[in-house]
Amino acid sequence: MKDWNNFLEEAKKHIPNSVECEIKMISAVNSLTRFANSHIHQNVEEEVSDVYLTIHKNGKTITLNSNITSIDSPNSFIEKALVQVDNSPDDQGWAGMPESESSFNGYKEVKSKDPEERADKVKKFIEVGKGFNAAGYCSTNVDHYFVWNTNGLESSDSTTSAFIDGIFRTDTSSGSSHRGATSLEDIDSEETGLEAFQLSKDSQNPEDIDPGKYEVVLGPEAVSTILVFLGVYGFNAKSKIEGTSPIQLDSQQFDEKLTLIDDPYRDKSLGFKIDASGAPKKTLEIVKDGVPKSLFHTRRTAKELKEENTFHELFGWGDSFGGIGTNLYLNPGSSTKEEMISDVKRGIYINEFWYCRVLDPITQVVTGLNRNGSFLIENGKITKPVGRLRFTQSFISSLGVGNVISVGSESRFADSEFGEGILNVPMLHLKDFNFTGGVSG
Amino acid sequence: MFDLLQQAVDSAIASGAKYSDARILNSKSRSISARNGDIEDFNESESIGIGIRALVGSSWGFYSTYDLSNASIINSGVKAYNIAKASARVPGKEFPLADVPVVEDEYTTPHEKNPFSISSSDQINLLAKSTEEMKKLGSSHASGRLDFWDTEKWFFSSQGHKIYQNIVESGGGISSLSIGDGETQIRSYPQSFGEYRTGGWEVVESFKFENELERLVEESKRLLTAPQCPEGTRDLILEGSQLALQIHESVGHAIELDRILGWEAAYAGASHLDLKKLNKHRYGSELMNIIADATLPGALATFKYDDEGTPAQRVNIVEEGIWKGVLTGRDSAAIAGVSPGGMVRADGYGRIPMVRMTNVGLLPGDSSLDEIIEATDDGVYMETNRSWSIDDIRLNFQFGCEAGWLVKNGKITDMVKNPTYTGITPNFWGSMDMLAGEDEWVFWGTPNCGKGQPGQVGHTGHPSSPARFKNVRIGVKG
Repeated sequence: MKDWNNFLEEAKKHIPNSVECEIKMISAVNSLTRFANSHIHQNVEEEVSDVYLTIHKNGKTITLNSNITSIDSPNSFIEKALVQVDNSPDDQGWAGMPESESSFNGYKEVKSKDPEERADKVKKFIEVGKGFNAAGYCSTNVDHYFVWNTNGLESSDSTTSAFIDGIFRTDTSSGSSHRGATSLEDIDSEETGLEAFQLSKDSQNPEDIDPGKYEVVLGPEAVSTILVFLGVYGFNAKSKIEGTSPIQLDSQQFDEKLTLIDDPYRDKSLGFKIDASGAPKKTLEIVKDGVPKSLFHTRRTAKELKEENTFHELFGWGDSFGGIGTNLYLNPGSSTKEEMISDVKRGIYINEFWYCRVLDPITQVVTGLNRNGSFLIENGKITKPVGRLRFTQSFISSLGVGNVISVGSESRFADSEFGEGILNVPMLHLKDFNFTGGVSG
Repeated sequence: MFDLLQQAVDSAIASGAKYSDARILNSKSRSISARNGDIEDFNESESIGIGIRALVGSSWGFYSTYDLSNASIINSGVKAYNIAKASARVPGKEFPLADVPVVEDEYTTPHEKNPFSISSSDQINLLAKSTEEMKKLGSSHASGRLDFWDTEKWFFSSQGHKIYQNIVESGGGISSLSIGDGETQIRSYPQSFGEYRTGGWEVVESFKFENELERLVEESKRLLTAPQCPEGTRDLILEGSQLALQIHESVGHAIELDRILGWEAAYAGASHLDLKKLNKHRYGSELMNIIADATLPGALATFKYDDEGTPAQRVNIVEEGIWKGVLTGRDSAAIAGVSPGGMVRADGYGRIPMVRMTNVGLLPGDSSLDEIIEATDDGVYMETNRSWSIDDIRLNFQFGCEAGWLVKNGKITDMVKNPTYTGITPNFWGSMDMLAGEDEWVFWGTPNCGKGQPGQVGHTGHPSSPARFKNVRIGVKG
């Protein structure tokens, strides 16, 4: 806060009246304790204070960013931007900056966690799986974000998060689990470890099964990966502008059992409540009973599509990545895990997907693999662990009308291929999922 | 800078660390992206900071800060020590560090034109004109990007290393995306996500974007109406940049010693390789000779010392198909009983150095792409990566390419779209029976290799030339 106030006070003196200007700062202490082979082997902490300066002048825009140490003075930083903006190309897409009415004051002083507190969480995780090989991390983060612009907006927000994520391994198996919360105290690392240990124990000596179409019961991490792909590539208004989004608003594109909300204000949501422009994010109904209802917008995409901004601009990416939802909640249903499994005639339980890549953005055909706990389900019962399978499957179709048999009754923050803390989801039971290869290729 | 580094390291050692090293980095970057003739993003970034590492017992502690005041520097050493010490609550077996020569030296990447000395207008104009022209030629979305990095590193260790390096990297690429009825097709140059090397603006000038614009647009449009790549088992011919990614994913990551030792198991994964099989395991056919060489002039992962002060070097990884070497750091090399290879790097002052691919490449053969095609009766030739996926022990992979062409009776015939192939690492490499020679050996660069927690983005190099693989499963569909 002191760095920000000092920088801003000085910077304001040197901004000409003739330009539009936006100044942002992120200050953070990010700490991560990493373990492998059942002991802590890496333990890191990073203090960050980065400044972003955008100047728009005579239809041209420049953005410079530096950490605070590499800026000689606010004056010289602004002078540099003023020189460079004249060499910049015309910026047809400039969409202005939020007005002062959008200011948000969410700053709070927070002390970062000690490495000993993370080590104790790791210890509890590891100890539940004695004899098995544990690996993973426990992280704690404190982030502050400040934004000011020449429209008079002055916003700040603070957020804390903590995660534990780990696996247990044997020579033939592995099992993983993950938890996220705003506070380290709210994470039960023993319960998390036990879940990973049990999956690893139960999935020893897996058998290969033939590729083909299977019913699947997906754990939260697998569900999260499907949704994050749709969020980043589908519901991003920039993808819509570029013609690569598969999303058709107001059509029954998904099964009616699915309702997806983006809500940064929900109790214990993770992340900032303001977007990179400094304005409060809107709470959005993304999918209502299977019908896509909204896209994620930034200033520029809203201008280009002549729609309302939803304020989902990512910090650090500017507008180049488009709008991304970072507080997605898939509404839970009514089925317990046991009920979902008991409904399967012949299918596969998948705990986690791995290395998923889009083959075609419009159909959202994605290939990837399973890992860290997969089981064959026959006649309502788990019968044996199964090995690696490669899927090649449209993520849109996987959630299509009639393909979602049931939605789990419990949800939690789940990890995804695009990071943690973005999605809070239950398990899903899907009718068809296309596996195209086994261990032998 | 060395005085500051010494203060930090002395502070960690005085606190009780058995070894400590520290790096100050001054990193400059410039990135420009364009779409359809407009500049979408122009960003310049600069950062200075210190990262200090302390070894206590069986764990590294690492602390980084932007604050280079004397008080902060001394505190950094204490913090790194305290972070490492906290790890003792869950201890492992203590390990030594492999011996490396203690040197004082300086190095600067050879380059002709520092990209930050070139007017940004010239760089902007190149992208704006290239993408504008492709748009006029009928591309649905013509895009391009350029990236430049100028990184100064000062390294100091408690053993007396004192090294300054200035690494300059440049590159970029252009793409034409065509949108059809419910599908998109793309063609990119020099490769998907751009081509990057150590060097200056001359790297980008050598690409000569202007010669490729028409071809990219024409091919991306033609792909929309091309037939699907047929399913089945056929001979597969890979162009060099796709083969570079194949090397990266199915060899480069698999030979990282930290993976083999399980240090990355929870996230990036482990490896199908077992150190007990070193010097015995057949990785591929006798044509397969893989090196890891951080001394190749102009390649993306070329430097003089790694981020532990170990000299850059060439290490033989696979010789005539037999697995011979691994990528190491001083800690992992000592644990495994192998020589440290100078392969540890971090992506900034704020990240702990870790095992990273250098220039992991396939040595050239004695054939040519033309000869390979002439010698193929029934195959598919694939160019430029579009998607990549491999399991967490680097065994089961599936790649998609931007474009494919059927090869019939020694001749390229029809273009096919959505070409994919899948396989198992040793079987696939074992099926390589023709390999193009030195004339077609290119130092492909990958600027976006993700690894580690917290995540780091690595710059790796992959010299390769086109090759043929027998009886590969192609045309996998969803």
